[in-house]
Amino acid sequence: MLFNSLNFALFLPVVFVLYWFVVNKNLKFQNLLLLVSSYFFYAFWDWRFLFLLVFSTLLDYFTGLKMSQTQNQNTKNTWFWISIIVNLGFLGIFKYYNFFAESFASAISNFGLQVNPWTLKVILPVGISFYTFHGLSYVIDIYKDRIKAEKNFIDYSVFVSFFPLLVAGPIERATHLLPQIKKKRVFDYSKAIDGIHQIIWGLFKKIVIADSCAQYSNEIFNNYESMNSLSLFMGAFYFSFQIYGDFSGYSDIALGTAKLFGIDLLRNFNFPYFSRDIAEFWRRWHISLSSWFRDYLYIPLGGSQGGKFTKIRNTFLIFIVSGFWHGANWTFIVWGALNALYFLPLLLTNNNRNNIEIVAKGKRFPSVREVFSMTTTFLLVLISWIFFRADSISIALKYLQNLFRFNFKNGMEYLEIERYSVELVLLIIFFLFFEWISREKEHPFFGKWIYLKLVIILLSIITLGVYSDITDFIYFQF
Amino acid sequence: MKKFLLHFFSVLALVFLLIFFCDILYSKIYRDAIPRNKLHYILNLKKENFDVVFIGSSRVANHIDTDLFNKLSNKRTINLGVEGAGLNDNMLQLKLLLEYNHVKSVFLQIDSNLETTEPSNISTAEAMPFIKNSIVKTHTQKYNANFDCLYHIPFYRYAINDSKIGFRELFFSFLNKKSGIDPSIGYTPKFGNSIPNTPLAIMGEKIVLHENSILNEIRLLCKQKNTKLVLFMTPLCSKINPDPYIQKIKNIAPDLIDLTKGYPDAMFFNCGHLNDEGAKKLTQELFERTRNQ
Repeated sequence: MLFNSLNFALFLPVVFVLYWFVVNKNLKFQNLLLLVSSYFFYAFWDWRFLFLLVFSTLLDYFTGLKMSQTQNQNTKNTWFWISIIVNLGFLGIFKYYNFFAESFASAISNFGLQVNPWTLKVILPVGISFYTFHGLSYVIDIYKDRIKAEKNFIDYSVFVSFFPLLVAGPIERATHLLPQIKKKRVFDYSKAIDGIHQIIWGLFKKIVIADSCAQYSNEIFNNYESMNSLSLFMGAFYFSFQIYGDFSGYSDIALGTAKLFGIDLLRNFNFPYFSRDIAEFWRRWHISLSSWFRDYLYIPLGGSQGGKFTKIRNTFLIFIVSGFWHGANWTFIVWGALNALYFLPLLLTNNNRNNIEIVAKGKRFPSVREVFSMTTTFLLVLISWIFFRADSISIALKYLQNLFRFNFKNGMEYLEIERYSVELVLLIIFFLFFEWISREKEHPFFGKWIYLKLVIILLSIITLGVYSDITDFIYFQF
Repeated sequence: MKKFLLHFFSVLALVFLLIFFCDILYSKIYRDAIPRNKLHYILNLKKENFDVVFIGSSRVANHIDTDLFNKLSNKRTINLGVEGAGLNDNMLQLKLLLEYNHVKSVFLQIDSNLETTEPSNISTAEAMPFIKNSIVKTHTQKYNANFDCLYHIPFYRYAINDSKIGFRELFFSFLNKKSGIDPSIGYTPKFGNSIPNTPLAIMGEKIVLHENSILNEIRLLCKQKNTKLVLFMTPLCSKINPDPYIQKIKNIAPDLIDLTKGYPDAMFFNCGHLNDEGAKKLTQELFERTRNQ
């Protein structure tokens, strides 16, 4: 079920009414309702993969209990590794098997041997990367004695499957979400209003910004060979806003929906395109994934402690694994490695924590230096997105080669979708204006102009939204 | 909770209000604007007399040089060919044109468009701002399964056609910006030449061509309005052999004027469309072959 679909527009009010008007007196029933609704939400996409979700939930629930119950370290280790291997095994089979099989065959062919790789024709279960990481964090936290195992299966299942975060995050932590699930929830007016506003802002980002940019960027990326440098730059520029609008829009809808049920989810985006360096960008982009890798991979490996070699190794490792998490393609690995390259100089010179606060905090405008830093960071990110978007490394390199040919002949090129590739810039400026004024909040609906802003954004959703070509959220494929 | 529900329903009411407002505004702007497409141009025509009207897809829009035909025939001619239009769209154009104007002859392009009766570009998008027009309404009701939503849900028709009649087109209409095509002439020449490097293909080899109900309706409409209907087929490049297909068309339309021969590849913009030089030759040939009709 898509957040931007009529089905969801009907589903959400029904669950909301049942939650606050029918089962509101009993926390157990409220959680049961959330679980049933979440499974219905998931099964609406493909009911067969519901079994995989339930199996994954059962596995982590039981291994968590077993680890908690035993005093024997060897037994604890055994249960821990069973969970890790099975979880990653599922992820490996569904997401990465074909990639490894094909890469192996390709590598072997370099030695003159021909291997016909046996590939699986399976659909990637939506959300598998997200709910697997939920489960993993839970099991690792129990193993490290950070938390106790959850005994109530319904509560644990809601933590894994809560429908707003089920298919594309944010990737939650048991320490953050489980206590909220176990606590009686009282309807909070301001939180619910905030949730409605965040959903509206998320819809604007998805339907107006991301889907409009998608039309342009798809057209340019699909015809990159015949495009001049200016149009190719615009293609990458539009993709930068497509992926931001798409994913942060999804996260806003997820966070807003959860607030309607009295639950706070982890914030996933914090105005990443206003970052002044790449380290700041990664503290503001897909925060729940970055922090997951930081806590469960980077720090256990030694983090930024130790010598230069360890720092470099750990930085590359975390970025490459993060890239690979996105998909089984070399393009994601290169995208990760490129970001590691950007990040490394900051880390080695101890400048990676220079910009913690949001830019121009408490001020209306940024300084010239801040504008320069933000622009430079954005351009670096934009180049890395070319690898993320391209179908293969060779296409990405060719795209970059054509981009840096500095061929501006004919100016903006006319696209098959009957557009010049420049028109959308005005809309993006309008979007950035709203982002800028709300950069110390979560969305622009605050202050005394709240109703005017609501009218403008709703009007934009109605008139500027893309309804002829309703698309999935990009991160569904991950 | 009461306060929340009040706020929620206020937002919902605001959404509905904005949708109603946009629907009225869009419809008014389109109604009052200078026509930017041929359907709107037809809707604005009242009590006009045309000697010859050419109608069809881009294979009419790009092929019939109206000025040249006027000069040769000394007749008032208009080219109503529209890129992507099918027979269903052409019928809507004709219904609107013949309702309020008089046309002596209609030249209708037929080829692979005989394979479908479904509406496309014009009927599903360009006509939507004018859905309250009785002819457009009846046509949409008959051929568009989505009619109830299109007609009764405010703004729905603009939303689902956002790329064609959405904000961008509305804005240009509001500014009265002229489109690249002058609808009163209608000829949109193509220049240059690029024939694909592909092997020879036989057009519609396996297709069984049945009677097309829309074509029959067009015949009936012209008869009722005392308008002569001429059917013709335009050329294709040497990579396509249309002969077996033409034979199939002739079984349905024995009166077809076959113009597919005698056009070297140099006269093509692409395999389905002549360039300006080819279009001029075609216009001349069509005039020669119909001058005594």
